[in-house]
Amino acid sequence: MHIPDTFIPLSQAIIYWIIALPFIFMALKWAGKEMDDTKVPILAALAAGIFAIQALNIPIGMGTSGHMVGATLVAIIFGSPWAGVLVLTLVLLVQGFVFGDGGITTMGANILNMGVISGFVGYYTFVALMNSKLNLKVSSFVGAWLGLLVSALVCAVQMYLAGTFPLVPGLIAMGTYHFIIGLIGEGLITAVALSAIASSRPDLLESKSLAKRGVKA
Amino acid sequence: MSKNVTVTRSSNMKFLYAGIVIALILAVLAPFLASPDPDGLESAAGGLVGEEKLAEMEEAGSVFSSPMPDYAIEGMGKSGEVAAIVAGTLLVLGISYGLGKIIKK
Repeated sequence: MHIPDTFIPLSQAIIYWIIALPFIFMALKWAGKEMDDTKVPILAALAAGIFAIQALNIPIGMGTSGHMVGATLVAIIFGSPWAGVLVLTLVLLVQGFVFGDGGITTMGANILNMGVISGFVGYYTFVALMNSKLNLKVSSFVGAWLGLLVSALVCAVQMYLAGTFPLVPGLIAMGTYHFIIGLIGEGLITAVALSAIASSRPDLLESKSLAKRGVKA
Repeated sequence: MSKNVTVTRSSNMKFLYAGIVIALILAVLAPFLASPDPDGLESAAGGLVGEEKLAEMEEAGSVFSSPMPDYAIEGMGKSGEVAAIVAGTLLVLGISYGLGKIIKK
């Protein structure tokens, strides 16, 4: 879902940058408040892992592939959607400048879609489902899936405003592909990764730390 | 420093090492396992944007010429792709670790 430079006219791309900047600022502010020597290794491990897994496109049929975004996973582990914004911003910076994956002018839109929208929707859906007594696997699966789907639909609207896609066919195409990418690439991997963490490092996800995420015991 | 903090710190370093190992395994395997099919956005563009406009957009290209476009090193084939993704993984690792250390309270 990395939007290249040519997909959005510069005037609109700048607007997405302007909207993205306060979120990036808040993510840095979150890090300044929350990061300490014990948490930096977790942040670095997640950022490296998410960069690598984004290189692994999974075939979804219809001659199309997709990969994980990861903002929801990071947000759940750190108990804050700002963590997802921070990690995705760093990953998108390296992808855009070093590998030409995602544009430079459109990086603001990409940070907004993948870092902010997928992470916020995914994280707060997860919290709501945990509070409805669903378990960790189901809540994280549905949250991650929905986060990705909503960010793809927002991307389709941006493509419409840019004059690149027609509105309804764009929503249908982006929605269909990312409905499936969200199930496999985002939901399943997020749930499996969290289950692995829950068994190897239960302290990171215990009820006391979940409570901090607004999940009631 | 309390015992708990020491325990957390060493198990978080283990988390980092495990993360680096998993990330590097993914980075090495990605060029061989990743689907070459277009992603959701590219696929949608292929179906929705006219051929003429697509060619026009291709021509315009990106505003910045990246050193390793498409996660590859020119003329190096698969080994170049492995090197590019491993380099990217280590770069993200370094930047996030460095930023975390600088910004921490």
